[in-house]
Amino acid sequence: MAAPTGEREVAESCVEWVSMEMVEAYCRRLHPTKPELAGRRIEAIGYQVGLQLAERYTKERPRFTDHLEAIKFICKDFWVEIFKKQVDNLKTNHRGVFVLQDNQFRWLTHISLDSPLYNGDRVTLETSLSNNAVMAARAAGQYLYFPCGLIRGALTNLGVPCDVSAEVANLPACSFIIRIKA
Amino acid sequence: MIACVAVVGQQNNPLFIESFTEGEDELKFHYIVHCSLDVIQEKVSNPKKTGSAMNETFLGLLYPTEDYKVYGYLTNTRVKFLLVTTDQDVRDIDVRNFFRRFHAAYVDAVSNPFHVPGKRIISKAFTERVGAIVKSFGAPTT
Repeated sequence: MAAPTGEREVAESCVEWVSMEMVEAYCRRLHPTKPELAGRRIEAIGYQVGLQLAERYTKERPRFTDHLEAIKFICKDFWVEIFKKQVDNLKTNHRGVFVLQDNQFRWLTHISLDSPLYNGDRVTLETSLSNNAVMAARAAGQYLYFPCGLIRGALTNLGVPCDVSAEVANLPACSFIIRIKA
Repeated sequence: MIACVAVVGQQNNPLFIESFTEGEDELKFHYIVHCSLDVIQEKVSNPKKTGSAMNETFLGLLYPTEDYKVYGYLTNTRVKFLLVTTDQDVRDIDVRNFFRRFHAAYVDAVSNPFHVPGKRIISKAFTERVGAIVKSFGAPTT
């Protein structure tokens, strides 16, 4: 029987719960009145983790030749290591802005929407559904601070200084916008 | 016999430097490591002239002085590892193996949440691991 490689493993649910609890702690307990500050703190944690993960996942690889190679690495190997899938779509305007789109972002798949109040009227059902979706999209933004930090940390360590922001269109699809600093 | 190993960060700041010979002047190794950084810079900017591949991590022999040989390795994150050895007949494969294990130890040390990126590595576990790798350097492989 083949022996395991000796690497220790952690249940994925632990990672998801820690990240959810981190958002909870920073946004509701520590800085309830300053969501921006909470977001920046979480992003800073993600930045350091991204730095360290970039070291680990580029260990065996030859060096990257340009920014595009580094971004492709993020979309493929880095995403696969962390989220077990590749990024679904990569767009660029060739002027230093890249959009990474993930149609099934792993850490957002377990967010559920409230069932809408239905009092028999179809019109109100539809509006309340779409209201729910909009509110959910806004709330889900908090859970994306950490992944933004991850991407920013990894790219900075690979020599690509940048800014990263995220948008949620409909759960669980989201996109990350990377702006390379000149 | 390995004389010294060093880790130099992205801004050419020293992160870790350890010498393994007693009685030698430590400052001399600092100086040798510093000079080798210039050679690394040259190799990275002129790949065709110096013959090494553009994106190889292992840079090979950098700087032979009369007593020592210096080997270099550049990671994807622009961190440089340097190995100063007194052996006269060092096998290429031995040095590559050394750097592979050293890289693994470095990644583990940097993943420490208490390590501040860009500052010196002060982990005792890292120092011990490096000591073990250095001891087993050059051991005959079957």
